This record gives sequence, structure tokens and C-alpha cells, in this order.
Amino acid sequence: MPSKEMIGRVLSTGSATVSAEHVAAFARALGDPNPLYVDPEAARRGPFGTIVAPPTYPIAFMAQALAGGADVFLELGLNFMTLVHGEQEFEYLRPVRAGETLALTGRVADIYEKSGSSGTLDFVVLETEARDTEGELVFFSRNTLISRHT
Amino acid sequence: MTALDARTVTIGTELLPLVKGPITREDLKRYAAASGDPNPMHTDEEFARNAGYPGVFAHGMLSMGYLGEFLVQAGGVGSIRRFRARFAKLTWPGDVVTCRGRVTAVRDEGAARLVDCDIWTENQEGERKLVGAALLALTRPEA
Repeated sequence: MPSKEMIGRVLSTGSATVSAEHVAAFARALGDPNPLYVDPEAARRGPFGTIVAPPTYPIAFMAQALAGGADVFLELGLNFMTLVHGEQEFEYLRPVRAGETLALTGRVADIYEKSGSSGTLDFVVLETEARDTEGELVFFSRNTLISRHT
Repeated sequence: MTALDARTVTIGTELLPLVKGPITREDLKRYAAASGDPNPMHTDEEFARNAGYPGVFAHGMLSMGYLGEFLVQAGGVGSIRRFRARFAKLTWPGDVVTCRGRVTAVRDEGAARLVDCDIWTENQEGERKLVGAALLALTRPEA
């Protein structure tokens, strides 16, 4: 069981520049044909003036900018073999733009357990915020991970 | 071009469905690479079977990505303010994923018409897999 003392701790910080190629590869992996994600010329003429990212792109950006995520799971005492993504929530202030640098801060927001017919489950809620170089919030992610007791 | 009309949207309005798939194992490999998800549960059959599953299953975030495309189809790029999903059931290779949603509340805030929706994905048997909600900000029509 992950220790409740972890609640509130900053687990990871990182910063990265959003690459248009990374955004396009992510959009293609979703089979999402929106030209604003993949076509620089269409994006330049569009409402944001540059390539922007699909709504769930922050998950890929966080994986890239917070490399070493597996260490986080170990530190939390989560069993990788039985770990599942239970819930995901995003809040957006505006779309993520290609070429901008975002700073991420990830925290443990909550740790709790629930007992059910299949045994006891550990819940860990991770919250990550992304700020631009002006310090403005761009997106917020809340990620609930579930791990079976072993 | 957006599917939801800010002038006529009301409680109970259904969002235009989006159909994706059938999901292939190739899709899962491509998504794993593009999203930086190292979990072999989605790409390695033997690993998935050793963990007690009949085989690999789709990333929850792949289906949530489909819901993202569905919401942008409804409201346009940049219209989503909040977006959440619970991964209630697993999605398998071969599943056709249909994204659906229904408006639960509409209110105005400044120049925006805010639209709350219940959203979900279902497979070809109508089984709900992801269940969630979203808040879209549409441009408010001229009064």
C-alpha cells in the first residue's frame, strides 16, 4: 500500500518544448485527420496561427517531459503488473501550441484504498499542471491509477 | 465547422456520433510509441496472458483520444474546458468504438455558451467502455 505520507508531495518536475512532429505522430496514432494538428500550412491560416495539439496530447507530453515515470510508480509502491489507469481528467485554459515550452509539476493528490469482491485496490491520484514561459496555466491533468494489493 | 449549433443546443441534444476502428494490434503499437506508454500489457500478448488477461487490450487513453476527436467535432478546436473519463471496461482488438454524448446543461458566461455533456464510448455490442463528461465553450450567438 502506498504511504499516505506521500500525499501532497511533488513527485516530478520537468520542462520540454512541444514538437510539431510529436504532435503529428500522436494525432496519426489516434487516426485523427484534423489538419490543425498535422498540416503546418493549414494551421498557419487557422485560428491559432500554428500547429496545435489534440485534447489528449498532454498525456504524451507528460510522458516525454517527465521521463522516468516508472521510478515514480516504484517510489509509490505500486505494482506495475496489476496497475491500471482508472480515470483521467483534463482541464484546459487553451490549446497546446507547437514550439512552446511548458513546465510541468506533478503531485500526489490523494492515496486511498477500497475493498471489493476482487480484493483490496489501491488508488493513487496524480495531479500535473503545465505552465507556459509566462507562468500561465495551460492545462491541468488528474490521473487516477489503480493497483491490486499483492 | 462544428456539429453542435450554439443557437439550438439544449438539454438532451445528442452529439453527432464518431465511429472508430475496428481496433487492430498495429493501432496499439502505434499508440504506445506515439504516447510514450511503456506498459507491455497493450503490445505483448505473452505479458498480458501472464498477467491474467486473455490477451492485449487497448490503452484507455486511445479511446479517450477518440472521445477528444469526437468533442472537437462537436465544438471545434479549443472549445473543450474540461474533459474526464472513467475506464469502466476494457476495449479489445477487433472492437469498433463508437463515441456518443448527450447535453446535460447549457448556460451562458460572457461571450461563451457553456455546454455540459455526458460522454461515453461503446463497442459493437453496445457495451459502454469509457464513461465520462465534458464541458464545451461554444461561441454565444448574437442576442
